[in-house]
Amino acid sequence: MTLPFSPTARRPSWRRSRARPPVAAVEVLICGSADRGDDGAPIAASRRLRDRLEDDVRMRVVGQLDIDDLLGVPAGAGVVIVDAATGLRRGQIVELPLNGLVAREDGLRPRSSHSLEFREVIGLADMVRGRPLRGRIIAIGGGKFSLGAGLSPSVANAIPALVGAVLDAIRRLRE
Amino acid sequence: MHDTDTIADTTGDLEVDVAGLTRVEGEGSLRLRVRDGVVEEARLEIFEAPRYFEQLVVGRTPDEVIDIVARICGICPVAYQMTAVHAFEHALGIEIDPAVRALRRLLYCGEWIESHALHIYLLHLPDFLGYPSALDMATDHRAAVEAGLELKKAGNRIVELIGGRAIHPVSVRVGGFSRSFRRTDIVALRASLEAALATALRTVDLVASLDPPEFARAGRLVALRHPDEYPMNEGRIVSTDGLDLAPTEWRSAFHEEQVPWSHALQARGRDGRPYLLGPSSRITLSARQLHPDALAALTRTGLADEIAVNPYRSIVARAVETVDAVAEALAIVDAYRPSDAPRTAWEPRAARAAWATEAPRGLIFHAYELDERGHVTHAQIVPPTSQNQAAIEADLAAFAPRVLGLPRPEQTLRIEQLIRSYDPCISCATHFLDLRVEDLS
Repeated sequence: MTLPFSPTARRPSWRRSRARPPVAAVEVLICGSADRGDDGAPIAASRRLRDRLEDDVRMRVVGQLDIDDLLGVPAGAGVVIVDAATGLRRGQIVELPLNGLVAREDGLRPRSSHSLEFREVIGLADMVRGRPLRGRIIAIGGGKFSLGAGLSPSVANAIPALVGAVLDAIRRLRE
Repeated sequence: MHDTDTIADTTGDLEVDVAGLTRVEGEGSLRLRVRDGVVEEARLEIFEAPRYFEQLVVGRTPDEVIDIVARICGICPVAYQMTAVHAFEHALGIEIDPAVRALRRLLYCGEWIESHALHIYLLHLPDFLGYPSALDMATDHRAAVEAGLELKKAGNRIVELIGGRAIHPVSVRVGGFSRSFRRTDIVALRASLEAALATALRTVDLVASLDPPEFARAGRLVALRHPDEYPMNEGRIVSTDGLDLAPTEWRSAFHEEQVPWSHALQARGRDGRPYLLGPSSRITLSARQLHPDALAALTRTGLADEIAVNPYRSIVARAVETVDAVAEALAIVDAYRPSDAPRTAWEPRAARAAWATEAPRGLIFHAYELDERGHVTHAQIVPPTSQNQAAIEADLAAFAPRVLGLPRPEQTLRIEQLIRSYDPCISCATHFLDLRVEDLS
């Protein structure tokens, strides 16, 4: 079927509106919701990360990861996405390259993305950007995501390790 | 993805059992059993509904409630905010400035645009074109996906500007907004809306050309209707069988009930009948109030009658409403004049509050009781999906026998596609149903 939309030379306006000087070598996107149990793990990690990031690393709390969040990553910058996920042991930390996730059909299911899976969000962002994002996703396994719940003990205990994993991923992306 | 996914299909039997449908606000599953061509069971189970919020808001002030209920949904937070704020203002007798009224309608337009664009292009269109996901569809139809994303972005921009942020807005207050908006702020939306209108009109043509499964449901449609404008924040509750109620009187015609298979309360008419909300209901009951651009687009499709009965045509209703929301937004932007103050002052007091507005997915109803300090002592929040749940189950039961003779992938697609036609809040999960088919014979 031919759809009534043809490729246009005009660049999508978000590229203009989101364009920033490429000051950030790495962007850290913190997903999740602090009021939904283990979904708040990345937020908890971000509080510990705040004072430990170099000047050329920008951290943003994005809540639900949206395509626009990835389109806002400056060209050439690396990106580290941190989110809670199901399908892992509580507190288990898994790191995956973004390009591997796009090709993965049975991967992690994020708890904070409402409408699209990670692979779709990242794949569509890659498509619009015209080149694959360079980066990693760091997921921490969660077990309870009810509103008003705090972190599970095993997830809370894993926050320092999550912080370490993020810092390590940033270091490798800057190399 | 799911704990257990099975379909068993013999000549007259079909068994679909999908556990662990996931969404942000909760989890659900689908159970559908057909034996000898007769539907034995059709259940759309939702394990979590915003019941907790009804307790969370107790003891809170109206302004706090408005921020809290925005957290119920990441896709339609404005619907929850608008319903709550109108309930409080009606109960407390607060008159709002016309500019505030216009901005709230603009804010709701933003949510409709982003929600509808997301559903049309990224969740529902892949079904019709035979792709498992928007990402797969984008490999062949990149320009269309980009156009859909740009359309969605036009809605996001409105919500971000007026709401203070794109998700879970924070600016709505009883009596108005937390801040004023300069005309230059609002007019800045114009360029993206102009582009969005062209895209929205082409979207109507696109979805009207799709070939949906034949299916005619015979249920009751319910929506708000306003004499002068397409319903969003105001209007009376009407139905295809003659209901006509004030937006405060939802409970006189409908009620919620517990069903054993769902943590969510299901809403039904007082007569026990299910009813359907959403774009198809609104188009059917309020087509004459559409913006002229949207009405012309609807007329051009020639599908108004089919929209009323075939759920698969809801994608057309959604596209027409997107035109309406974009055109309305443009009109509001052009006419906008700031108010003298961002909000009207008010005094807390005891009151009973209730209101209904139109979320992208359909009518949403809130009721609150306030004590003499103006703090909430009781709350009832009835989202559209819990109201549509019984109608979805009824439609699944009516449709299921039609897929018995189809190949298994086609069965899966048709059932998923039907569920997605209602754009339930669990659409994120139903979009990724990965059904395994087992022949039990």
